[in-house]
Amino acid sequence: MSKLGFAVSIAFTYFTIIYLTGIGGLFSERSGIVNIGLEGLMIIGTVTGSFGAYYFGAKLGWGVPAGPIMGLLLGMACGAAFASIHALATVTFKIDHIVSGVVINLVAVGLARFLSTIFFGQATQSDPGQPHLHVISIPLLSKIPQFGVAFQGLSPFVLFPFLIVFPVWWVLNRTRWGLRLRSAGENPEATRAVGVAVAPLRWEAVLLSGAFAGLSGAFLSVEIVNNWREGQTLGLGFIALAALILSNWNPVRLMGAAFLFGFAQAIPLALRDWPIIRSIPEQFVNMTPYVVTIVVLAGFIGKVRPPAAAGKAYEGTTT
Amino acid sequence: MATTVAAPPAAGGVTRSRPEWLERAVGQGLALLLAVVIALALGSVIIILYGENPIDVYETILRSATTAKDGPAWVLAAATPLIFSALAVSICFKGGLFNIGVEGQYLVAMTTAAWAALHLGGVLPGPLLMWGVLLFGMLGGMAYAAVPGALKVKTGAHEVVTTIMMNGIAVSLVAYALNHPLRYTNAPVGQNVDLRTNIFPANAKVPDLGHVFGFGPAPRFSWLFPIAVVAALIVWFIVKRMRLGYEARAVGASAGSAQAGGISIGSVQMKLFLISGALAGLVGMQQILVNNASTSTGGYLPQNYEATLGFTGIAVAFLGQNNPIGIVFAAIFWAALSRGESILPIETNMPREFVIILQGILIMSVVITYTLAKRRLDRRQTGRVIAEEEAIEMQQPEPPPTIQEVTA
Repeated sequence: MSKLGFAVSIAFTYFTIIYLTGIGGLFSERSGIVNIGLEGLMIIGTVTGSFGAYYFGAKLGWGVPAGPIMGLLLGMACGAAFASIHALATVTFKIDHIVSGVVINLVAVGLARFLSTIFFGQATQSDPGQPHLHVISIPLLSKIPQFGVAFQGLSPFVLFPFLIVFPVWWVLNRTRWGLRLRSAGENPEATRAVGVAVAPLRWEAVLLSGAFAGLSGAFLSVEIVNNWREGQTLGLGFIALAALILSNWNPVRLMGAAFLFGFAQAIPLALRDWPIIRSIPEQFVNMTPYVVTIVVLAGFIGKVRPPAAAGKAYEGTTT
Repeated sequence: MATTVAAPPAAGGVTRSRPEWLERAVGQGLALLLAVVIALALGSVIIILYGENPIDVYETILRSATTAKDGPAWVLAAATPLIFSALAVSICFKGGLFNIGVEGQYLVAMTTAAWAALHLGGVLPGPLLMWGVLLFGMLGGMAYAAVPGALKVKTGAHEVVTTIMMNGIAVSLVAYALNHPLRYTNAPVGQNVDLRTNIFPANAKVPDLGHVFGFGPAPRFSWLFPIAVVAALIVWFIVKRMRLGYEARAVGASAGSAQAGGISIGSVQMKLFLISGALAGLVGMQQILVNNASTSTGGYLPQNYEATLGFTGIAVAFLGQNNPIGIVFAAIFWAALSRGESILPIETNMPREFVIILQGILIMSVVITYTLAKRRLDRRQTGRVIAEEEAIEMQQPEPPPTIQEVTA
């Protein structure tokens, strides 16, 4: 039982990363812009977030919690700034969304190293042990015998997804801006016809997408690893994309999908000793999120429907 | 699709004498030039902010690729996998498919090729083993590309998303193969060796070519480069001269019209995916059969293999405008820039990562200027066709049949 609790605790961490990045993808795709650059946006979030925590927390001596919070905010801001390239390319110049996303991912790796040499004087990591927020234990839940370990020693930031899930749903479904955003993603011609400018909406959505992905990356480097390391995102941006598809682009269902995939990440780390897990090579557990997504996409289980106009620029006019 | 609409206005009474294909070629050439100028200018801003002289930095990159002793050999060797990768991306593009799964396809292909190199040594003597290994790489890539192809054709699952997922699965598959069935058994006793396969027999490696061109001892430059150039010619032939190429371009231009014209979309898409997978299967051969080989051994597949070549191939395909011959030059250009990575930190104060950023700026500006130029040319052509129609209507009551073809 305590093993399972430990697994759930790790799953919470991955859930937070996958959910925040997924929300980023959700805003972008509901507005009609496909964003496969989430991984690259996260990478920028990890390096700049780590720098923020180190610079404000340790070098300027702001300490905890101001330093880590500045790190998270810096990662968020830099993620949005980097996403502006995607917005410029896809919204303003209307180039292929996938090409732009691929370039974002390619450049992010080099840019992260470039920034790292400026920030930390070394290309592939920063010094470990940077300031992070004090860990918390959830009252009551952490007292559960055996299983309570799942709710102990967590970064307070894992509560953030639970705080934003309803506001995000409400903004998308109950505000004028959310309605217009969704209509831009479903039928931009009709949106334009009723006098709403599509381009600003999509710009806002892509910048939000960068902010969430950057925040998620900053959470990973500042709160979980406590320093920046090259490649620490481990393809979680693509897993977030998978979770987004599984959720059918719905912020509430994304909670479930993100936790499912987060738990899949935790299984090889925490439940290695279980007989049934030991008989399955960990690599096969690691690939489950991708396999599940393909099965769902192919329509073998359930059916998902992406926003109708998402990625339209590449549907018609490749080459 | 520039190629499908390139029917020159053949009739008399044309308002302009310049042929339309020439205008298009000049327009695209200018777009490329503009993109390079923009990229170099933006790169210069970064260099100046870094306190260096842009001309010195660019000159260093150029010099290291061309005049240094093994510079050209290094560049051509580094271009080889990019040619395969970009060709794999581009042939799918012709049919309106976006195969971003080249990444996963070549990872799986490296594994199947490694298996063949380790197990077929007794069956295939001499140089046959190398060809067998290349074939198994291609088969591995084809098999892995067949999955998103079949999903696209049978269920309509979008190939972009399925191939992203397949890329994630491929990383785990290679890790599994290296940990279990292909894990090395012949490590020197008492030594800690990084996770890898056993070393292949020497006849699995692709022979060197450096001495033929007087590149001196440049062991990375091998017969794989000419094979890549031949692959580019084959792709050119398929696209321009074969029925499949015509059908692919028809499907890419308009799937609906192609189907109405009697083309089976599913069959075309499946064939494109298989060819793409076969090309992707050769991407990893440079590293396992050449870079990791020595004079007496045949290479191996290590855990820390070079990744992201499939994604770089997408950038190279765009730089080469999806033209097989253009791709060869684009890959060489890309590799020449990459050559600067190792020289920059030695001869200037720029970090090596500057090159990746420069490549990123370049590809972004190329994509943007190409798209804008193409849109402009398309608009101009539409305008010209309308003007021709009007001019002819004013001159004579009945338009000649050739014009009907152009405007149909």
